[in-house]
Amino acid sequence: MAIYVQHGHGKSDKITNALDDKSASGVIFAARNEKVDKLDRYITTLRENYECDLLFDPQFYVSTLIPANDRYLPDEYRYYEAGRTAKDFIGARKIASYVNDTINFQTERGFDRIMSPTVIANGFSDRWSQIALQLADSSIEYHSSLTDATPLLVSLVLSEGALDSRSDLDAFLDILTSWDVHGYYITVVRDDATYSQSFYEDRLAHLLYMVYILADRNEFEVVCGYSDFIGIPLRAAGASAFATGWYQSLRQFHQKAFLKRKNGGQPPRLRYSSSPLLNSIMLGELESISDAGYLDQVLSDVDLDSIITDATSPESSAWTSQISDRHHWQTLAKLDQDLSGPVRRNIMGLIADVRQATGLYATLKAAGVPFERNTDGQHLFDWLAGLQTFIRIAAL
Amino acid sequence: MIARHELYCITYPAIIQGHPFCIDFLDKEAMANLPNLTVEQIEHVLGNVSGVRYIARGGQKVVWSGVIDGTTYAIKFASTPEEFTREEDDDTEVEADPEVIVRASREVETMRDCASPYMVKLGPIGLNFVEIEGQSLLYFTEEFINGSDLRSLLESDGPLAPDAIIDMGIQMTDAIKALWELGKIHRDIKPGNIMRRTSGDFVLLDAGLAFDVIGESLSGGFLVGTRIYFSPEQFDYSNRRTGLDFRSDIFALGVTMYEMATGRHPFWNRGHSSQAFYSNVTSLAPEPPSSIVEGFPQDLDNIIIRMLGKSPHLRYRKCDHLTRALEAIRGH
Repeated sequence: MAIYVQHGHGKSDKITNALDDKSASGVIFAARNEKVDKLDRYITTLRENYECDLLFDPQFYVSTLIPANDRYLPDEYRYYEAGRTAKDFIGARKIASYVNDTINFQTERGFDRIMSPTVIANGFSDRWSQIALQLADSSIEYHSSLTDATPLLVSLVLSEGALDSRSDLDAFLDILTSWDVHGYYITVVRDDATYSQSFYEDRLAHLLYMVYILADRNEFEVVCGYSDFIGIPLRAAGASAFATGWYQSLRQFHQKAFLKRKNGGQPPRLRYSSSPLLNSIMLGELESISDAGYLDQVLSDVDLDSIITDATSPESSAWTSQISDRHHWQTLAKLDQDLSGPVRRNIMGLIADVRQATGLYATLKAAGVPFERNTDGQHLFDWLAGLQTFIRIAAL
Repeated sequence: MIARHELYCITYPAIIQGHPFCIDFLDKEAMANLPNLTVEQIEHVLGNVSGVRYIARGGQKVVWSGVIDGTTYAIKFASTPEEFTREEDDDTEVEADPEVIVRASREVETMRDCASPYMVKLGPIGLNFVEIEGQSLLYFTEEFINGSDLRSLLESDGPLAPDAIIDMGIQMTDAIKALWELGKIHRDIKPGNIMRRTSGDFVLLDAGLAFDVIGESLSGGFLVGTRIYFSPEQFDYSNRRTGLDFRSDIFALGVTMYEMATGRHPFWNRGHSSQAFYSNVTSLAPEPPSSIVEGFPQDLDNIIIRMLGKSPHLRYRKCDHLTRALEAIRGH
C-alpha cells in the first residue's frame, strides 16, 4: 500500500486522520500552502508520532505561471521567484543556483526523498521541456555531489497533451532511463479542469506505458502526484506510490489552480467514493442507488461505510466532507491492496474490475438511477480502452 | 599449419561469409593498402621480438604474433597515408590525424584504460610509427589470446550451450560496463570480435571503433561498425551524437547471444535486401530462441529478447541489472 496525502491549503487534521486510518503511508507537502516555520513544526510532529514517508514538492514550476497564485512561495521559500521566463533559464550557472537552493531546502529538513525543481512541459521537445531536462540533469549532478543525501526523485510536470505522441514519448524515455537517479515524481496537468476520472484512452495508455517502463522495466521508484483514482491503474503499471488530497484541486492537477483568479465559487457537494464503481459519486446519487435497492453493491466495504449503513439512508446519515475525505482514502487504499503482484496480473485484475463496474453502472441506470455527466461511469470506457492499448504497446 | 579457429584472428567474418552489409563500412582503400611486411623486417623494427608469425589480415591492419620478454603478443601493423609524417616536437599547429591513426589511437587508449579483465589488453609496445622501405606504418602490440573467435566456433562446433552463453553475456557485459565508465561505446560487438580463451573465459577485441560519447566523432557522421549488429538507434542519424549510449552495445551483445544460441541472426538472412534488414531491425519482433532450439531456457530467452528491445529504454538501464539477471539464471 502506498498512497500519499497530497498536502495543500486547509490541512487541519486531515493528514493525521489518513495516517491514523492507515489508508495513507506518507505526505507530499506543497510549499505554496505552508509557511516554513509551520512546516518545520508539522514535520517534527509527524516524525514524533508516525512512521510515514515525508516528501516535499517545492512547486518551483509555479514561478513560471503569470499571474501566479503562489501564496507563501515568494516570501517564505528562497529558491522561488515569481514571474520567471525562459530567459531566466539561460546559462548553466543560473540553473545550478536554482537547483542548489531547491535541493538544499529539502536536505536541511531531512525529507525521505528529495524532489528536483522543474517547470511545466507541454511536450517532449518544446523549449520548456528542454529547460525541465536541464533542471533535472543539473539536479542529478548536484545531488550526486552531496554526502548522505536522501534519494533524489526527478520531478516532471507534463501537460496531458504531451502524452499524445508515442514516438516523442519513446525518445523522452530513452533520456530518462539513461539517468542514474533513484526515481521520478510525475504529475500530469489535466486539460479539463472539472473533477472526473475520465482520461483520453491513448494518453492513459501512454502514461501507463511511461510508468511501466520507468518503474517495472527500469526499476526506478515512481511516485505519481495528484493522481486520485487514476493512481490505481498507475499503481497497477508499477508506480511505487500515488498521491491525492482532500480538495478536487489536490486530487487532479489543473494549471488553473495555480493562477490568480477571483475568489468565490460554491462549497463542494458531499461525495461518496465507491470502489465497485471506481468513482467518486455524489451523495445524492448514492441516495438514489439506495432507493433503488442497490446500496450494498456500491459500498466500498471500508470502516467508514458504517456511517451510511447505520443511518436510515445516505442523505440522512452523519456524512460530512471530512468523513468523505477520510473515506475517499480508505476506498483508494482498499483498491490499492490488490495491486502488489506483477504488472500483467495487476492490469488483468483491474480490467476485470472495470468490466464489473461497467456492468454495475448499467444495472443502476436500468433501475432508473440518475447520474451527472462526470459521475456516470463514462470514464470506465476510457480506462478499459487505455488498459487494453497499454497491454498491447507494452507487450504484456 | 595451425587451424584458423585456434589462432588469434582479427577477422571480419562477415566478409568471409559474404554478409553484404559489412563491406560498405570497411575502409576499402585501407584494405587495398595493407602493409606488406616480412618476418625479418618486423624483427628488425621491433628489435626485442622473436618468433614472429603471420596471423591474419583485417580491414585496416595485418596481425602478426611475436615473443617479447618471453611472452607472446599480437603485433598489429597498419598503413598510414604517405603524406602523413608525425612531428612529435613540432609546436606548430598540425592538421587532424588521418582516421586510421585516430582509430588506432582510440584502440590503444581503450585497451590501456579499460579495467575489465574481459577486454583485450595492450601489450608492451604502444602506438608507434615507422617507415619500412617506403611504407609509412603504425604498429602496436596487444595481448595474444589462445582460443577461438565465436564466429569460427559457431562454424566449427555449432551453437553454444546456454550456460556458456550466460557466461559470455556476463563477461561481455563487464567489458561494456568498463568501457562505459570511460565514456565509451564499443560499437562493433559481434561474434567475430569476441574470443573464447582455452580457459573458457571470453574476451572482447577490437576497440578500434570505440566511440567516445563526449569526444569528437570518429566517423564524421558516417555509419561505422558492422551494420547487421547495429541497434535501431544507430541508424538514426539525428540520434547519433546525443542519444547513443552503452545500451547500443547491449543490443549488439543481444544479437551475438542470439546467434550463439541458435546459429541464426535474429534480423538478417542471406539474400535479404538492405531495406528488409532495416525494417526487421527496427520493427520485427525476433522469434524467441526457445522456439528454434528445443529445451532452450525460457529465462535466458526473456533476457536475450529484452536486450533486443527496439528502444534503449526497453533494454537494461544499468549493466549491473543485466549481470544480475544473467547471474540469477546461471546453473538453472
